[in-house]
Amino acid sequence: MPNGAIAGGRIDASQPAAMGETLLSLENISKEFPGVKALQGVHFDLRRGEVHAVCGENGAGKSTLMKIISGVYTPTSGRIVYKGTARSFASPLEAEALGIAIIHQELNLIPHLSVAENIYLAREPRRGFLVDRKALKANAQKCLDRLGVAIDPDRRVRELSVAQCQMVEIAKALSLNAEVLIMDEPTSSLTEQETRLLFKVIHDLKASGVGIVYISHRLDEMAEIVDRVTVLRDGRYVATDDFAATNVDEIVSRMVGRSLEEKFPERTSRPTRDVILAARGLTRRGVFHDIDFELRRGEILGFAGLMGAGRTEVARAIFGADALDAGTVTLEGRQLNIRSPRDAIAAGLAYLSEDRKAQGLAVKMPVDANMTLANMDEVSNRFGLIDFAKHAKAARHYIDLLSIKTPSASQPVRLLSGGNQQKIIIGKWLFRQSRVLIFDEPTRGIDVGAKFAIYQIMDELAAKGIGVILISSELPEVLGMTDRIAVFHQGRIAGVLETAATSQEEIMHYASGYGRAGSRA
Amino acid sequence: MTMTVATPPSPARGRLTDRQKDIVQKFAALGSLLVLIVVFSLTSNAFFTVNNGMTIALQVTSIALLGIGATCVIITGGIDLSVGSVLALSGVVAALAVKELGLAVPFAMMLGILTGAFCGLINGILVTRMRLPPFIATLGMMLIARGVALQITGARAVSGLGESFGVLGNGALFRVVTLGDDGFPTVVFPGIPYPVILMVVIAVAVSLMLNRSVLGRHIYAVGSNSEAARLSGVNVAGVTRFTYVLSGTLAGLTGCVLMSRLVTAQPNEGVMYELDAIASAVIGGTSLIGGVGTMSGTFIGSFVIGILRNGLNMNGVSAFTQQIIIGLVILLTVWIDQLRNRR
Repeated sequence: MPNGAIAGGRIDASQPAAMGETLLSLENISKEFPGVKALQGVHFDLRRGEVHAVCGENGAGKSTLMKIISGVYTPTSGRIVYKGTARSFASPLEAEALGIAIIHQELNLIPHLSVAENIYLAREPRRGFLVDRKALKANAQKCLDRLGVAIDPDRRVRELSVAQCQMVEIAKALSLNAEVLIMDEPTSSLTEQETRLLFKVIHDLKASGVGIVYISHRLDEMAEIVDRVTVLRDGRYVATDDFAATNVDEIVSRMVGRSLEEKFPERTSRPTRDVILAARGLTRRGVFHDIDFELRRGEILGFAGLMGAGRTEVARAIFGADALDAGTVTLEGRQLNIRSPRDAIAAGLAYLSEDRKAQGLAVKMPVDANMTLANMDEVSNRFGLIDFAKHAKAARHYIDLLSIKTPSASQPVRLLSGGNQQKIIIGKWLFRQSRVLIFDEPTRGIDVGAKFAIYQIMDELAAKGIGVILISSELPEVLGMTDRIAVFHQGRIAGVLETAATSQEEIMHYASGYGRAGSRA
Repeated sequence: MTMTVATPPSPARGRLTDRQKDIVQKFAALGSLLVLIVVFSLTSNAFFTVNNGMTIALQVTSIALLGIGATCVIITGGIDLSVGSVLALSGVVAALAVKELGLAVPFAMMLGILTGAFCGLINGILVTRMRLPPFIATLGMMLIARGVALQITGARAVSGLGESFGVLGNGALFRVVTLGDDGFPTVVFPGIPYPVILMVVIAVAVSLMLNRSVLGRHIYAVGSNSEAARLSGVNVAGVTRFTYVLSGTLAGLTGCVLMSRLVTAQPNEGVMYELDAIASAVIGGTSLIGGVGTMSGTFIGSFVIGILRNGLNMNGVSAFTQQIIIGLVILLTVWIDQLRNRR
């Protein structure tokens, strides 16, 4: 593959403009939704040939800002200047036509179409009424060559890896002559090696004068590619710095606005030696292998690792949602025979899915119906008829216990906030008297206050003797809440670490397969 | 998203809450039902009479019985296209059981209803075990059941079934007949036809099941989010299968009632009835995406269709025009439903 191809590509030829010139600037941008201020007075500017990172916690307003840049939202107030002209983009298509492309976290490719067809979707080269398949393939090949990636333009997208899909998205952006490229968490599901390739491509794009807006939670890797960094917090602008002039600690403290400790409640539960749940040799072929761990009473056990390392898959298999090929699960000394979630629930296990809307809640149904769904026997008589007095009492009890904010128990859950939805799911499993709760990314997309409440609930559960497993991609959360951490790497547990004696760096090394050796921090 | 909360979102400002919208929807269907009754009463003298009321109720029974089953299936996110054919097969089986096997009428009809239940069970297995899309599974059953009905009768009507076969469809409770001075009997009150009683009893029972039982709760949960239901320990396959069996059983019952009314079993009976059933559910606010639907809504929906047919007939509107009008009514009500769900 011609690696230097980008330099001779279309971008450079058509853009002799000077590096460092301001390409895009957003001045005093605010965005309000009914009842909420998502952004207030945010500034952001992007120069040609730079990578500008936007950092902030979940809910800090990064996505809203990106949606404003890419034309999905129109700001409530403020000015967007693009290449010297004040603009307001009416739609993503308009922004795209002007050279602003976004590569979404959830990739927006059509799995059944080929790579070439995806790159030129809705812009297919034509001969008369028909698609010019030869030109389509040749043009797509040119785009891919410019990136220096070896992907066959005829392959179906569903056969590609996530990293390859990302490259296809970038190729698509290049085919649009994009001068501004927004990358939303591009490395979150990439392997170390794939990340290298992506960074090389980013370097080449920089050299050709493309401005890149880069969003990532992985501050550690930013040093390699990022030139400047802007921090947002709670929808407000905090600061913009040259990356060289700042450091990760400073960025983090700006993001959080306080020291890390305050984000987590004091742990009151103390781990005992009493094992509640033990897994031995759990294997689901091709997904995870020989998983051994023990969960002790009073303990919160963390599952850390990169996306796709097998954490969720192990949890789902223990819960009977997916089949196990081998291995045993023991609860309080009794070996379980679980073939479906019903068996697992009957045994006293609970799994709180990472995808609340798709797997956790019947969103059209009211709060009380969701809360009692896993334990209808408790609120019905022996003829299978619901006892509405008991039903209402149970719902009320857990709404109060977990301080769920809802106008009434008959409110459909889709109208509640993420934090309250998560509490409803917790309430469902508490009502079921579950003895082990597996939380899968319980605070994803939840605001800071509600996060704290959920951490407190987890601690109280552990203190009551309920086993708690916390699966999380946010290392501060794992470090702040757990007693021990099982780090997953490619379907195996790479190591079990004592939380008090480990660090973010050590976990990352285990998660990327290096183990204790090969430390680079 | 964390966002700074400026003002709590108030539901009272111009937009309706969900509960209010539900009421509007229900009253929209009920309102149009009342409008139809008023209009037809004014345009035709014979419309608003006890006799015609009973006629309408009788005509509505088949739509309503099938609609009840269709509603349950649709709430789970499925669809049952086979009921029209299954009712024909069930009726024909009942008739042949009387004529060829010499079974007593109640047992023969029981056999017919079981045939319907069996067809429903097959539908349920195709959908849950073999994971066929409900549309395809029941489309297949629609063709197969019709084919079997035609095959076993040689495509001929089965008649000469005896008077007792007609009791279920033609009998009535509280029928009051007096003998006039001239010696001819005069019907003072036509009575409540057995099919109407069946319809009301079943509608109430299924309504109770949906609203008050664990099974009903699970039916809504499966339709609202089947994966969440599964992960909450709901027997999703079992619940789904149940709705198809219920739909098939009610189709079998409808078949027996219809054939009994004619005292003849027609293998060609019930063509396109599945569409009336689905229409009645949809007019009544059942969402084809699943998770939403009520018995009262479907009941109103089937009366809207029944009264439209009856009233248009009485006003001498041609069968072709009737179809156009019913089609427009379906489009209009579903459009209202879309408006309700848009946000």
